[in-house]
Amino acid sequence: MVSRSSFCQRFAAGVGGLPTSIRNGAARAGDVGRARVPVVAGRVQLREKGVLVCGEEVGSLKTQSRRRWREGSSSSVTVSTNAMSAQLEEEPAAKGEARVILEVQGLRAVVADTRQEILNGVDLVIREGEVHAIMGKNGSGKSTLSKVLVGHPDYEVTGGTAIFKGENLFDKEPEERSHCGLFLSFQSPVEIPGVSNMDFLRMACNARRNARGLEELGPLEFYGFVAEKLTALNMDPRFLDRNVNEGFSGGEKKRNEILQLSVLEADMAILDEIDSGLDIDALRDVANAVVGLKKDNNAILMITHYQRLLDYIMPTYVHIMEAGRIVKTGDMSLAAQLEAGGYNAVQAMKM
Amino acid sequence: MAMAAATGSAGVTGALASSRQGAAVSRISSHKCFVPVNFAAQRFRATGKGIGNFVIRLEFALGFFMPGLLERWLNGWYGQLGVGTRATIAEAVKSEASGAVSGSLRDQAEASFSLSKDPGGPDFFLLDLAEKLENSVPSEEQGDSLGARALAELRYKSAEQALNLRWPTNKDEAYRFTDVRFLKNLDIAPTPAQPASVPNFESELGLGETEAFRLVFVDGVISESLSKVEGLSGGAYVGSVCKITADSAGSALSQALEYLGKPAAGTQDDLFTFLNGLGVQDAGLVFAPKGVQLSKPIHVVYYSTGRGGSKDGEEVTSISLATPRLLVVAESGARVEIIEQFVGAPDQVYWTNQVCEIYVANGAEVSHSCSQEQERSAVHIKQTHVSQGEKSTYKLVEAEVGGRLSRHNLQVIQLGSDTQTEFSTFSLSSKRQVQDLHSRLVLDHPRGISRQIHKCIVTHRLGQAVFDGNVKVNRFAQQTDAGQLSRSLLLAQGATVNVKPNLQIIADDVKCTHGAAISDLEEEQLFYFQARGIDPLTARSALVFSFGAEVLQSFGNDYLKKRLERLVKSSLATDGVVNPNVPVGQ
Repeated sequence: MVSRSSFCQRFAAGVGGLPTSIRNGAARAGDVGRARVPVVAGRVQLREKGVLVCGEEVGSLKTQSRRRWREGSSSSVTVSTNAMSAQLEEEPAAKGEARVILEVQGLRAVVADTRQEILNGVDLVIREGEVHAIMGKNGSGKSTLSKVLVGHPDYEVTGGTAIFKGENLFDKEPEERSHCGLFLSFQSPVEIPGVSNMDFLRMACNARRNARGLEELGPLEFYGFVAEKLTALNMDPRFLDRNVNEGFSGGEKKRNEILQLSVLEADMAILDEIDSGLDIDALRDVANAVVGLKKDNNAILMITHYQRLLDYIMPTYVHIMEAGRIVKTGDMSLAAQLEAGGYNAVQAMKM
Repeated sequence: MAMAAATGSAGVTGALASSRQGAAVSRISSHKCFVPVNFAAQRFRATGKGIGNFVIRLEFALGFFMPGLLERWLNGWYGQLGVGTRATIAEAVKSEASGAVSGSLRDQAEASFSLSKDPGGPDFFLLDLAEKLENSVPSEEQGDSLGARALAELRYKSAEQALNLRWPTNKDEAYRFTDVRFLKNLDIAPTPAQPASVPNFESELGLGETEAFRLVFVDGVISESLSKVEGLSGGAYVGSVCKITADSAGSALSQALEYLGKPAAGTQDDLFTFLNGLGVQDAGLVFAPKGVQLSKPIHVVYYSTGRGGSKDGEEVTSISLATPRLLVVAESGARVEIIEQFVGAPDQVYWTNQVCEIYVANGAEVSHSCSQEQERSAVHIKQTHVSQGEKSTYKLVEAEVGGRLSRHNLQVIQLGSDTQTEFSTFSLSSKRQVQDLHSRLVLDHPRGISRQIHKCIVTHRLGQAVFDGNVKVNRFAQQTDAGQLSRSLLLAQGATVNVKPNLQIIADDVKCTHGAAISDLEEEQLFYFQARGIDPLTARSALVFSFGAEVLQSFGNDYLKKRLERLVKSSLATDGVVNPNVPVGQ
């Protein structure tokens, strides 16, 4: 069993000499790898053309991947009309290949009040088990992308699609997106005086359980449930008695977001600058908590400015956003280049 | 947003007044310090989140800005209104060069804020009411004890002052938004001093649940049988002033009586204070001598039976009037916790006209909870006069949820430096309810710290909330740190709130913040709930409820807190504003 992305990764590891330790799924790639080399070469060719793995390659496979989601691990491949698909067709969908969780294509969005365009055609595909990091200058649209995906009312989608687990996100209300398993850890979570964390978490948890057809948890059952999560995250149970984010320090707010993520057991977590405003220890704790929540069947999209977070949560891909679109995709080495030379250096390299 | 722009310009600084205060403005403008560059009633239109527009009126005149004299931060000034709701914010912020303004000018300006004393002939309704109140006090009450004599003196003085005033109308600044004229159309029946038969309300109020000394007023008279004051020590006293006999003459206790009806200089007069003094039959005294910290809170219950009140269907024809009075004296270093609770017999028509005087001596601490849960047809008028000595602390937590008209005049006068003052108040106005808080804090000494938060919810188009929050930082009150925040939530079309936060700053080295927000629920908060999978209706319910809970949570007494939360929740649910099944605040 091998995932398409892990092919790519193995190949990249072979060619680029990257440390394999950072490669998620690399261990599983195993013996089938060799037989698929030509296919992988096709992908490399794509890269050399300056077309980036994530955005472009899967864009053409939209129908395919969606069908695959429905059919589970069946290996049927539909012929895409896209020009690039000619090459991609060569790559058969391996059995049990990681499913696409989120597929964003040509996403454009404006600020609802001012009509100012922020997102200008974002393409992104995230599969199960992957960790993606988006970096980019201030104002490049990173946070907007995360907010648009969860349905923030300040932004309006003007074009493109976002398919989450086979369903169109933009057809759904924000709470329905959450029920599906999409989670956004806010960059600066709002304070809600008067609502205790416990009540809030229970409402959220039961809302998701309801949506999945599970029975609601009563206050006592829920306490048992959440106590486990608190222990796992190494958090003080007194957190639950405090009002949501009220008077929380920066670190406490971020921890609280991760607690919510763990209670909601989301399939895909968007972490918007969970490293901002944290001291070194707090960053380590929060990052470790996130790593602890990482599973083979969920995915993480994190937005950050610094490599430090990436050192803890190893991303499968690093994307660079500029002027509302993803302009470059790579692996950890891209983040290292950024750290060393800044955005200008990376831009120059692109040319 | 239009409001933001408006407040931006108001933030420059301004002597500002609403159109009705035109006279005051013209006086101020004649002075060199105030050069109004602009005086106009400005209208701002803003588009609501839903359909349609609404109008926010912000009336102000800009004053002359003197840089470096005033440090002021505007906090959270913004406004978002629901469709069709109404709000007025008339804000007054005055800054003056230290010592540059003559006293007479200030007095003039001030006079226009307070009640008009212009006689214009006797007010016959008032004369009639005064006579009724006078007759309601039985002659044997005017007994011989020290306390009874103090009460008699108070009645005498109050009569004189009451008759110099007129019944307030909306031409008086203090009653501009609050209609008390309807009382004139009612037959007002002061309750007789004879004890009434009282239904058992102890269990309903859960009085047994609370670990507290208890003082119960029934129709303005202290009921010995319902009160429970055993176990006081250290010379503390809780009970009726009439029980203070000549034996204690010269003692600290008898000196406490000196404070009765003698508010600190600078306290503004109000007709209803004098009407209380005129008809007062009994007064409670809570006395904590030097350095004594009362072990338990003192729970003061005001129960109205509604004797003499009557209704003809929905129409109120006569209203029963009780005039309870409480005096709290905390000597230096003493600590007292007071809980005032206003309740009444179900479906009765009554008016409680209460006065509470609190003296917090140097280094003393008084925390004061106040819960007004009267019947929907009842009237509640309350004066709280507080004076604070050096390094003293006064904290008030208040919830006003009952009554047809609820008016609270809260005045705190600072008598020494380094005081701490906190007000947390909440009001809920539903159908045909007017909840009005006029608070006034006068700072005359350095390094005072004050924090005020006022929250109100209006849930019905026939509901109204009024808030006038005045903070006066006088010339010698340097290094004052004063913060005020008023937040109003309008949840029905046609719901009204009138907010008038006003700061008057004369000292030049102070930190004062204020903010007033009138809004529907905050979008960011709603979205936060939604992003966690909670549907908007549940989110709204939780947010509306938590809006008030922020203040309710400050109640020190758990039983009362739970009771108020239930009351607020059921009232909100009745108006269809929240889903009662939302698991918040349980």
